[in-house]
Amino acid sequence: MIEEITAVWIHYNLTNRTIEHLVIFSTALILAVICGITTGLLLYQRRRLAPPAFLTLNTVQTFPDIALLVLLIPIAGIGTHPTIIACVLYSILPIARNTYTGLASASPELLETGRAMGLSDPEILSLIRFPLAFPLIAGGIRIAIVLTMGIVTLGGIFGAGGLGAPLQTGINLIRPDIIFVAGIWVGILAVVLDGAAGGIESMLKRRFGSW
Amino acid sequence: MVAVELIATPFLQHILLVYTALFVSIALGLPLAILALYYCLLRKVVMAGANLLQAIPTLAVVAIVVPLIGIGFWPAIIAIILRSLLPIVKNTWIGLSSVEPAQIASAEGIGLSEWEIIRYVRIPNAYPAIFAGVKFAAILANSVAILTAMIGSGGLGALVFEGLAGVNMAKMLSGAVPAILIALFFETSLNWMEKRLSPWRRAYL
Repeated sequence: MIEEITAVWIHYNLTNRTIEHLVIFSTALILAVICGITTGLLLYQRRRLAPPAFLTLNTVQTFPDIALLVLLIPIAGIGTHPTIIACVLYSILPIARNTYTGLASASPELLETGRAMGLSDPEILSLIRFPLAFPLIAGGIRIAIVLTMGIVTLGGIFGAGGLGAPLQTGINLIRPDIIFVAGIWVGILAVVLDGAAGGIESMLKRRFGSW
Repeated sequence: MVAVELIATPFLQHILLVYTALFVSIALGLPLAILALYYCLLRKVVMAGANLLQAIPTLAVVAIVVPLIGIGFWPAIIAIILRSLLPIVKNTWIGLSSVEPAQIASAEGIGLSEWEIIRYVRIPNAYPAIFAGVKFAAILANSVAILTAMIGSGGLGALVFEGLAGVNMAKMLSGAVPAILIALFFETSLNWMEKRLSPWRRAYL
């Protein structure tokens, strides 16, 4: 059993595949977090743009992921770049929507207190609204982590490498050993990352959620 | 230009795949959610399972179905159900269980039976949550159904993967674009249906 696993692991170079996978994943996630929070903040400052922007992002969200990767081929080719672009396109919505909701729904009493203490508007945004929005933003990032993990794995079919590549080999050759080792390993990775994000989310909720 | 008959068969296969999986998911999901109201253990299993399975990448789920069940149409259906059943159960349960206790109490007060409370109080109150779950599941099923072409389900995904293998952009697009249109159709039709069924509520965003 263990010998078989190590044989598959070494033959399909899963250590390097995992590193590759995590590099693509973290690049995509960092970009998605930056884009998502920026979008949320901009929409918060230009409220009138929020409904059409969220409608557009919502529509992108309904596209099947493979169809989006196909549409990206003429623009970005195949490989790592379109995979990262697709991850970011999918992840902007949950992060931006949660940032927007979090910023917009700070309780009026706290804002009033801030104003009474003589804080300026930018200070109210950075010292009151943002910290209060942390738990919601973390929730959005957690959704983005699950989405990104799924799309990075899918990217293996479109030549991005990562753990999707051995999975595709396994399916094409109908080799149960490769499928089980790579599939269960990527499943464990995803569940652990999601669990860690959940832990951070509830920590932030305890720290910033109860006022 | 791609011939219409080239798309027609995969398109119908795709629709068949998505609708079969979706109907089975709804048919299993709603009773499961109602049962979960009464059985604590079932609820815990469903919720933990929903959260865990949701995190696992779709490609891994589709791949693991191959050695366990095989390839072809029915394994593909099972892979799609594995993906779309849990959001339906989870959302339906959340909707059913988050009815205001006062409403339940007044329903009991006017002498409704347990089943009548579910039928006339809990389910109508849960419509927005149920529809959100079904919409999510439909869109998910649509995107998994493309992927299952890898395990021989046919459908629009077959066009995408044939095009990918042959570096044939037109063929890939003739698979991808109809799939996107189907997703948009699901989104708008389910929104419309929700408005028709629960006219007393605002659209659930």
